[in-house]
Amino acid sequence: MKTIKLFTLLALFIGFSSCSSDDDGGTPLLEVESETFSNLHAPQVGGQGTGQDVSGAFTKFDFSTGQMTTSETDWDIAFRGTSIIVNGGVSLGTNDEPGRTGNAGAYIADGTFASISEVNISLIAQDSDTGYAIPSGSGNGWYLYNPQAFLITPIAGKILVFRTRDGKYAKVEILSYYENAPDNPDAMTDAGRYYTFNYIYQPNDGIITF
Amino acid sequence: MILNKKYFCIYFSLFLITSLFPQEQKEVKADSTKAERLEEVLITATRTVRQLSSLPLPAQIISKKELKSTNTIRLNDILNEQTGLITIPDFGGGEGIQLQGLDSQYTLILVDGVPLIGRSAGTLDLSRVTVGNIKQIEIVKGASSSLYGSEALGGVINIITEKPKQGFGGNVNYRLGAFNTNDFSTTIDYKKEKLGISAFVNRLSSDGYDLTESDNLNTVEPFSNYTLNTKLTYDFTENTDLFVSARYYTQNQDFIASEVLRGESNINEWNTHLQLNHKYNEKWSSYFEFYATRYKADEFLDDSDGLRFSDNFFNQLMIRPEIRATYSPKSKSTFIGGVGFNHETLERTDFTDEPIFNSPYAYLQYDTNPTEKLNIIVGARFDSHNEYESQFSPKAALRYEFNDKLALKGSIGYGFKAPDFRQLYFDFTNATVGYTVLGYNAVSTAIPLLEEQGQIANILVPISEFQDELKPESSIGINVGTDYKLTSNIKLNINLFRNTIDNLIDTRIIANKNNGQNVFSYFNVNEVYTQGLEFNASWKPNNQFKITGGYQLLYAKDKEAERAFEKGEVFARENPSSPSFQLDKEDYFGLYNRSRHMANLKLFYNIPKYKLNANIRTTYRSKYGLFDSNGNGYLDNYDNFVDGYSIIDIAVNKTFYKNYELGFGVDNLFDFLDTQNISNIPGRIIYGKLNIQF
Repeated sequence: MKTIKLFTLLALFIGFSSCSSDDDGGTPLLEVESETFSNLHAPQVGGQGTGQDVSGAFTKFDFSTGQMTTSETDWDIAFRGTSIIVNGGVSLGTNDEPGRTGNAGAYIADGTFASISEVNISLIAQDSDTGYAIPSGSGNGWYLYNPQAFLITPIAGKILVFRTRDGKYAKVEILSYYENAPDNPDAMTDAGRYYTFNYIYQPNDGIITF
Repeated sequence: MILNKKYFCIYFSLFLITSLFPQEQKEVKADSTKAERLEEVLITATRTVRQLSSLPLPAQIISKKELKSTNTIRLNDILNEQTGLITIPDFGGGEGIQLQGLDSQYTLILVDGVPLIGRSAGTLDLSRVTVGNIKQIEIVKGASSSLYGSEALGGVINIITEKPKQGFGGNVNYRLGAFNTNDFSTTIDYKKEKLGISAFVNRLSSDGYDLTESDNLNTVEPFSNYTLNTKLTYDFTENTDLFVSARYYTQNQDFIASEVLRGESNINEWNTHLQLNHKYNEKWSSYFEFYATRYKADEFLDDSDGLRFSDNFFNQLMIRPEIRATYSPKSKSTFIGGVGFNHETLERTDFTDEPIFNSPYAYLQYDTNPTEKLNIIVGARFDSHNEYESQFSPKAALRYEFNDKLALKGSIGYGFKAPDFRQLYFDFTNATVGYTVLGYNAVSTAIPLLEEQGQIANILVPISEFQDELKPESSIGINVGTDYKLTSNIKLNINLFRNTIDNLIDTRIIANKNNGQNVFSYFNVNEVYTQGLEFNASWKPNNQFKITGGYQLLYAKDKEAERAFEKGEVFARENPSSPSFQLDKEDYFGLYNRSRHMANLKLFYNIPKYKLNANIRTTYRSKYGLFDSNGNGYLDNYDNFVDGYSIIDIAVNKTFYKNYELGFGVDNLFDFLDTQNISNIPGRIIYGKLNIQF
């Protein structure tokens, strides 16, 4: 045990000393932590067979604070129903869609939450007037719709990789679309449009690994 | 209706003629226990009469005796009880056979050696076939295209019907069961000297049943159908004989699509089969065969105002003349060869064309015993076709008898299934949802038309990819097994099988439409294999008692899916709200609707003293998946499965006054139901039966 402790200390020491020499005495790296956000409520008005166009405010989320926000500018991603938008690119032009003010972008990677350890910058796309960076529709993006059970379930192995409005990175795995993320949601009894997701935010500038 | 006055007259007069003949020469039935000692023979495996026990191919016979003692009325019922066979309901309500893990469209169904047609969606509905006039059912497993051509990719099921027997005879059979299911059959047959004649009528009607109370539709709507079959045999000389058979089937069923949309569906089918046989000498024989059949299905729906909402028809015709000859240079050594021509047409709703298939073919087979212990069969067939690549289907089989108890057998063969009319010519757009399905040959004309109409958003697969012909699905089937006679009462056999299918035809999206829907078409893609083991055992301690058991182990998988799992491209979740993880090869379950394990156990008991026989039969199938429930595109261990189940049937029959038999039985004794997943199991069926021989 002692040897291991010693060895660890030694490794840490070398690590820190090499950091300080590389970074020219800059700030040490901020820690990267896996977080879970529960029950992000993303209501929408109209759509889905109501005969009305979809409308209603998007629920915005800021990775740097890990909180929802109503800011016009300081948000990274936003949710309305099953739609997910990024604060980058241009608006698709739906009702009540917020203007993009940042340089956020996104793509969907195939893998487990742990296995997506590095951002592939070349895949990043932004919202446009023909479609969102995270494609909408069952089977196209992050979810599947089961028309028999009226159920929205996130597709396994789909990890959403984001660039934030200010050029940092985050990855997200959506776990549930239903309030309190029940193990086996029932569209008849569980309230929908409540996102629960795991995410990792990389707060350090220019670092593309998680 | 084809059943016009003229036809009715013919059938009626046949009845009249036959019933006018006096009751004479009543054949005294041979003692049945003695008859059983005789070797069972079948014709399907080699197209010559062969002993089942000496055959190098995996084959099986279902005897008339088994059909009678189980009080079966339809073909699907009895096939379901056989090892490795299961009937699968398709969305259209038909029940097709799954054999060695292969779909219904890969098993050829024959009646007296000629095929049944009418596979509107690939499935041949076996509930169409009454067992009332069946002598025996022969099942040959493994690719058999070397003799039978297209469709005989997984195997062949041949229904051998009764031929007129010496003297005058007949029977009446009636069974009444749950759901007001009435099955009535009668046969009259007569044979004297050269002329034999028989007539058979079956009527089946049922109120249908409903498994889901929540909607206005029944799972099976009420129906009634008739089967008429008349036969004539004439022996010109000892060496020349003629066989003519005419069969007619008609069914009428309610067709209800919703509360307001109601109509009817009708099926009309006829088959005429003529065979002229001549034996030149001990070595040479020849057979001339002419077969024509038409299968017609129509359905319509009217709305609540009585206006026609939809009309669908399917009208297929097949004509096939064939000549074959056998030559036996020495005993136990036979050549059989044949040439024939297959002509098929189809008129169908939503077809671009009225397609015609013409396919001349020739085959040759040599069956020989070089030594007492060794039997070798080699054969091949060539099918030419006007719409797809010509096919050459070879086959070889071998059986070696080590001693009286043990024999080893193996066979390897090529099988194919031609693309069907639908896969080539379909041009269908769903009126309510808006998607389009195009046959392979229809793509090059239909897509430009849709583009002109401004319906296409983008083309994903260019039309140029549809220039080559769609290839037939083909397979290599290998079977290796042993027959083992433990004692004179106990027989065991094991068969290992593997079918590797190439060019499986599947659908894919070829274009997106502006309405958000897609255009689908057919293409050759998958490589699929089914492999496993079949085990059968029978024990007959005495003449009163017989126990048989069977088991099939099956792995049916898509090679491309296997590769995706190997590469780690497939993910799942423990439950819908937990993080996803990567699946490995072991997590891939295989193709849909395949059970890993299927088994049956049957016990037949016969008490001659009381003229009573009874049996109890049980079948089991292990869990299987119907669809990909977790959205990763594959059936894996984390999907929802249909639970395994077993069904127990019992039957008791007693004979009175020699010619009268009363039967009673319960199918599905414990009332097993899975209303969510299994539409062809309606629950417990209690029935009674009366059979009169004269």
